[in-house]
Amino acid sequence: MNNTNKAEPTQVAVGAGVLLLGAALAAGALMVPSAAGYGGVGPNFLPWLVAVGLVICGVLILREALTGGFRAMDEPSGAQHAYWPGLAWITAGLLANAALITRIGFILACTVCYMLAVQGLKRASGRPAGTPRALLIDLATGFLISAPVFWLFTQFLGINLPGLTGTGWI
Amino acid sequence: MDILNALLQGFATAISPINLLWAFVGCALGTAVGVLPGIGPAVAVAMLLPITAKVDITASMIFFAGIYYGAMYGGSTTSILLNTPGETASMVTAMEGNRMAKSGRAGAALATAAIGSFVAGTIATVVVTLFAPAVADFAIKLGPPEYFMLMVLAFTTVSAVLGKSTLRGISALLLGLAVGCIGLDQISGQPRYTLGVPELLDGVEIVLVAVGLFAVAEVMYAAMYEGRVQESQNAMSRVYMTGRDWRRSIPAWLRGTAIGAPFGCIPAGGTEIPTFLSYAAEKKLAKGEDLAEFGGKGAIEGVAGPEAANNASVTAALIPLLTLGIPTSNTTAILLGAFQNYGIQPGPQLFSSSAALVWALIASLYIGNVMLLVLNLPMVKIWVQLLKIPKPQLYAGILIFATVGAYGMRQSAFDLVLLYGIGLLGVVMRRFDFPTAPVVVGMILGPLAEAQLRNAVSIGEGSFLVFLQRPMSLALLVIVLAVVLLPRVMRARGRRNAAQPG
Repeated sequence: MNNTNKAEPTQVAVGAGVLLLGAALAAGALMVPSAAGYGGVGPNFLPWLVAVGLVICGVLILREALTGGFRAMDEPSGAQHAYWPGLAWITAGLLANAALITRIGFILACTVCYMLAVQGLKRASGRPAGTPRALLIDLATGFLISAPVFWLFTQFLGINLPGLTGTGWI
Repeated sequence: MDILNALLQGFATAISPINLLWAFVGCALGTAVGVLPGIGPAVAVAMLLPITAKVDITASMIFFAGIYYGAMYGGSTTSILLNTPGETASMVTAMEGNRMAKSGRAGAALATAAIGSFVAGTIATVVVTLFAPAVADFAIKLGPPEYFMLMVLAFTTVSAVLGKSTLRGISALLLGLAVGCIGLDQISGQPRYTLGVPELLDGVEIVLVAVGLFAVAEVMYAAMYEGRVQESQNAMSRVYMTGRDWRRSIPAWLRGTAIGAPFGCIPAGGTEIPTFLSYAAEKKLAKGEDLAEFGGKGAIEGVAGPEAANNASVTAALIPLLTLGIPTSNTTAILLGAFQNYGIQPGPQLFSSSAALVWALIASLYIGNVMLLVLNLPMVKIWVQLLKIPKPQLYAGILIFATVGAYGMRQSAFDLVLLYGIGLLGVVMRRFDFPTAPVVVGMILGPLAEAQLRNAVSIGEGSFLVFLQRPMSLALLVIVLAVVLLPRVMRARGRRNAAQPG
């Protein structure tokens, strides 16, 4: 790979993240009692192992990032820069789903989630989106996927999914 | 003849109409999942894990197994017809398959892939039938130290050997182990990493991690980075193989099977190595006109061999899963999770305590392979239609199924927020080339390995030397070290040889 001694800022952030995660896990491991009993290996052994391991990995990743970038790395697929509005739409969809699912039921919450996510995905691919007609079609498509999925899983497979009403149909 | 009797019993169970139906639906769904980009067998099985609450174990295992190897059949269709390779397992197939398709021989490539998958899958199932009981008999003799070392071997191969960077592979594994720690400690009952959140006392569901890392992350990644990627599809042609195609394919299938099956058996999973090895072998063995087709018009051996190797190793991977309880890939890790949902721990006892289940499952592999051959040869044109679904709608639809899996498991909206967070993590991991398989394997195998470790050290009366005192565990330890060190030594030697030519 490129062996210039230039730091890669995003990679440094990833390395720091791993390091911080290791540190946080170590802090958490402090709270787990050792209580090893006969064995000599208690419930805090694995947490410590993992925490120390992650700290070491974090340091090594940081070193790679600061000395020319990650080693043996594949070029990530797709565009060079992220299309953030795409992520924003999907975030909106997923979080709306989490907030609404117990209130308006699986079918409607998933319809909303689908509609929001598809806006982001369409815009990401440069397709026209957002005309009233397209929105209506997206809404209908979302409903037409969610509803049969809901019926299939609740009626035939006995999975509990919330409905808007207790009828089992919506 | 015990095996034959047991297998016949298995067939009797597997052939009941309801189980046949499950097998068929599983195979069809698996093929669809394999064909569709953005969703693989691991996610599909993970999303459907909630059905374990209601569906009988034999039926659901037959169903999941159908998805598992159905996806391998379907994956080749996509990699031959689309110019953007999908999952890693079919990347090798894509190399020659794409060239064949471009020169108007898509049909022959699809045929050799499907028939090769069938041949390899069936032979590997025979291997499973014959060897799994023997391995189980042997595995009964293993104690906690040996089990622990076997699991360490699985961790090592999945994180250090298979990926590009050992460092990132191990980081991913440790992350998985950390997620596995969340919840109540299984031996002492101490809460670990629960942060006072009651939802975390039960631990993090496998569904969440698998669906978050593979499905949700995939959707986010598509929206962020891959919107503008132009995809082109190769033209279909008649699914037909000439006499010359057959003559070239048959030995390639058999060689591919011979390469793939052993790789599946050992806890050193992954299909990348056997498929690449098979490809290299075929290229080396090809002569004259056939060799000229490699990298040119597309050589049929280059599709037949790797596809067979792929299916053989995927099927043979059921041996370590069923007899040792050790998963070697994402999907087998999730299958292990499915067994655990029923309170069953795969391992040597499985063949005695749940003999009916195991043999029904093995019998269903034979049946499933026949079903898949039918689904993928005459009906391949139907599956190709799936490639016409526009990406935005497909990916947004995947989110609906992700919700079913994540919410259906525990009925908790908290899990949906967690799912979103894991999805973001998955995007970062993908962008920076961290492998995701070690996370899933670490998370599922971690608690089991921890229990074995603690039992082993208890047996050793508190001493870690127990791993050195028992011959089997010592041998395994040596293998682990060899697996880690040998490639490095070879690479260093290769570099030295390259430096001083002659």
